[in-house]
Amino acid sequence: MTSLIHAVDLTKYFQVGKNRFLHAVDKVNFDIQEGKTLGVVGESGCGKSTLGRVALGLLPATSGELYYRDKNILLKGKINKELRKEMQIVFQDPYSSLNPRMSVYELIAEPLVRNHVYSKRQDTLKRVVELMDTVGLAQRFINSYPHEMDGGRRQRVGIARALALKPKFIVCDEPVSALDVSIQAQILNLLMDMQEEMKLTYLFITHDLSVVKHISDEIMVMYLGQCVEKAPAQELFSNPLHPYTKALLAAIPVPRLGVSLKHNLLKGEVSDPINPQPGCRFAKRCAYCKPECTGQDYPLAEKTPGHFVACELWK
Amino acid sequence: MEEPILKIQNLHTVYQGKTETVYAVNGVSFSLYPRETIGLVGETGAGKTTTALSIMQLLPERIGKITEGSICYKGEELVGKKNAEMCLIRGAHISMIFQDPMTALNPVMTVGDQIYESLEIHNYDNKSEHELQERVDELLMLVGIPANRKHEYPHQFSGGMKQRIVIAIALACKPQLLIADEPTTALDVTIQAQVLVLMEELKEKLGTSMIMITHDLGVVAQTCDKVAIMYAGEIVEYGTVEDIFNSDKHHPYTKGLFDALPSLDEHMKRLKPIEGLMPDPANLPSGCSFHPRCPYCREDCKNGHPYLYEEEGHIICCNLFREGNV
Repeated sequence: MTSLIHAVDLTKYFQVGKNRFLHAVDKVNFDIQEGKTLGVVGESGCGKSTLGRVALGLLPATSGELYYRDKNILLKGKINKELRKEMQIVFQDPYSSLNPRMSVYELIAEPLVRNHVYSKRQDTLKRVVELMDTVGLAQRFINSYPHEMDGGRRQRVGIARALALKPKFIVCDEPVSALDVSIQAQILNLLMDMQEEMKLTYLFITHDLSVVKHISDEIMVMYLGQCVEKAPAQELFSNPLHPYTKALLAAIPVPRLGVSLKHNLLKGEVSDPINPQPGCRFAKRCAYCKPECTGQDYPLAEKTPGHFVACELWK
Repeated sequence: MEEPILKIQNLHTVYQGKTETVYAVNGVSFSLYPRETIGLVGETGAGKTTTALSIMQLLPERIGKITEGSICYKGEELVGKKNAEMCLIRGAHISMIFQDPMTALNPVMTVGDQIYESLEIHNYDNKSEHELQERVDELLMLVGIPANRKHEYPHQFSGGMKQRIVIAIALACKPQLLIADEPTTALDVTIQAQVLVLMEELKEKLGTSMIMITHDLGVVAQTCDKVAIMYAGEIVEYGTVEDIFNSDKHHPYTKGLFDALPSLDEHMKRLKPIEGLMPDPANLPSGCSFHPRCPYCREDCKNGHPYLYEEEGHIICCNLFREGNV
């Protein structure tokens, strides 16, 4: 199996003051096979969006290596334009990620025009129509502006833009969080259909566990910049190991009666990501916290084949 | 049978624009009994928030209007009340928790002052300042925030903490009815679970009735006694939580909502979305407003009001149930 994208100890710190560093992404490793989806879940502030941006080179990494088809692409610090065409992003909020003064045609044609893909305007138009067809946008919208469309259609425009240059790797940063359930299902189906058709590889970032389970092959759970557990989707849900993963799964209100949230209720809130002390970052909220949990970092350890967890309990 | 605390009958609310009229709520009726929680469920544009704003009489001036129907709070008609009269009811009898705690609080006032403010406005039995301040401490403790943090500003609190403060403000005057408009939508799951459990405990402790507005069927299963599923300004299905979650008779829209959710328990290859889009509330379809998206649509659905099916309080507004078959 060939891995399309492979990250080794990817790290991103933001300097927020003198000798104060916000550890947004801390030594994260991942490996996505071509045509597969890696889901990244976690609460706000856990560094999932930063990870997505670093993986695309939209933010320079502080340290670490990122391999695309076995080539370290962070060597010169910047990702070149040719590679950029193969790596795209779908943003969370279709309301603010589209320029309100551009029509659907202009929005979808923009990446094509910028990269001088076609010399004739007619070819560009043909490709735009083709893309609109792929993402299920009726042709009558070609001259509409974003405000004339609802959230689902706007997100389709966002997806069409990402697809315009025939990418191989797409980071989906909460692409359905701003949408209603019935529309969410339409967009998720679309993303999965396109993956099958074009052999796309996704890094799918979301806070919604049922969405991530549906779309991912493998899932990575992040807490305060670190990956605390990584496992195939089915395995993670049927056999969660890390106390944080367990608490996260228990906190989802299920649309069924007789399930109480009161058990396994997580106390406290995410602590400060600035200059964190070594040790398990979840220790303060953890019900199983032991004295050994602080003082030293926990690397991910393989518990069963393919199932990695970073926890004293499973050492 | 106890008297309902809130009785809404045939409520119609419109937003009158310059060129078009938006029909946001079209004939909503329900009753809420003491200590009960009713969930208003639906997608964007279903008229959930407009219903809440109509109850509070907080519709945007001149644009938003209640054209028909009545809202009775403890036998008192709220529609047509003057603003000064409503001020005595808002906050003291009926209060509201807004969706986004980040914008609901005043950034240049300490949180203690913001809680104090609502106590002071409704201070009808002339309590001293000291007594009111004690009540502020009490309220903060009630929602799980140390009282010594009352001199801090909203930006010093996290999202979950801010929502707790908004809840404290809403509960300050011991209201009989609490309207929670998507209270946990802006929060993370673990924090959402904390806030939902807190609201449940407070409701039991204080005996408040609640209207829970949400789009999340999981939240409904956790918190509500009765559920009203709304679509295009109408209640298409109404019943107890057991009716909605356990019965096998449903409005096609309710069924669609449940089917569109990715499941945590079973694996399915594709989701089943509801085809089409929410209708434009300025230009609603004739007949049943769900008919253009409904897989079971028949000729008689396109004209006239759909059949009202009722079975022991479980109401479904759909022609499919006309002959008793499904």
